[in-house]
Amino acid sequence: MRDWRAFVTERLGSVRGDQAERQQIESELAQHLEEYYDDLRTQGVAEKLAFVQTCARVGDWKELRQEINSARQEGTMTDRVQQIWLPTLVTLVLAAVVLTILAVVDAHPVIFDLGQLRGVMLYVPWLLLLPVVGAIGAYLSRRAQGTGWRVYVSGLSPALAWGVVLVLVAPFAFLVNPAVAPGLKVTSILAMVVSWVVLPGIALGIGIALQGLQRSRTATSV
Amino acid sequence: MIRTELKRGTAELAVLSVLESGPLHGYEIGRRIEEQSGGSLRYTLAALYPLLYRMEHRGWLRGEWQTGDSGKRRRCYRLLPRGRKMLKPMRAEWADLFRALRRVAKVATHA
Repeated sequence: MRDWRAFVTERLGSVRGDQAERQQIESELAQHLEEYYDDLRTQGVAEKLAFVQTCARVGDWKELRQEINSARQEGTMTDRVQQIWLPTLVTLVLAAVVLTILAVVDAHPVIFDLGQLRGVMLYVPWLLLLPVVGAIGAYLSRRAQGTGWRVYVSGLSPALAWGVVLVLVAPFAFLVNPAVAPGLKVTSILAMVVSWVVLPGIALGIGIALQGLQRSRTATSV
Repeated sequence: MIRTELKRGTAELAVLSVLESGPLHGYEIGRRIEEQSGGSLRYTLAALYPLLYRMEHRGWLRGEWQTGDSGKRRRCYRLLPRGRKMLKPMRAEWADLFRALRRVAKVATHA
């Protein structure tokens, strides 16, 4: 009896993806060839001819590999856009719009003055609305079958974006302004990190968690 | 380019159509298409499987491993609502194309 799995593995070559995915593809193709070969044999086709016809059924192995890789690449790109980039964009825009509206209606932040140049600022209405924003980001990502870190990146993106800005831009800004005292630099950065990364991150995280909870409840009740 | 796209287009409609009646594994999909088209549509593995993976990524189908009565494990493809939704416009599109081609062919024959 022919080992169709080994036959496929040997000729297909390297397909993109982890080992489990590659094995699944090889198994599926081997299964197809085996069934076709068995059908031909059942119809009375001689062993050698059945094998030749089965091989012809593959088409070109190189084309098969390239097309599978291309199909998987297309899927990965589509998945990334739907599970990460689109929800991230929506979440970022929503967080910015809410903050802008609050600024327009003149909602002042509560500032905990640390006795330094900049204290911890609490935009309370913004922080109260951020769970909704985070939940929307998580919902969009999960709706596109996003899981794990993809959902969190989508939901937490406003806080992550501020984190990136602070890590990359703030130190540079302090370097440009030598008048700022050394002690003040660290305190100010910490205050900004708390104001724009930690607290919004917690608020967005609450939204992500609540959306996950609501989703699992809905799934259970269906 | 057009040839490849055309081929892909016909295969998409063929796959969706045979899956409309219920889940099938890859070999059965190919066999049904060949059978129902009177042997005119015969897809190689290089044409069929990449297409199935593409359609799966688009959310038209879902492939799941199942163990049959014979104990064989096969990947069965099931039509998803998004795929079912694609069938009607796709059929209309191809019907329009064939009507147009028939008209053109008729004109060419009479000319």
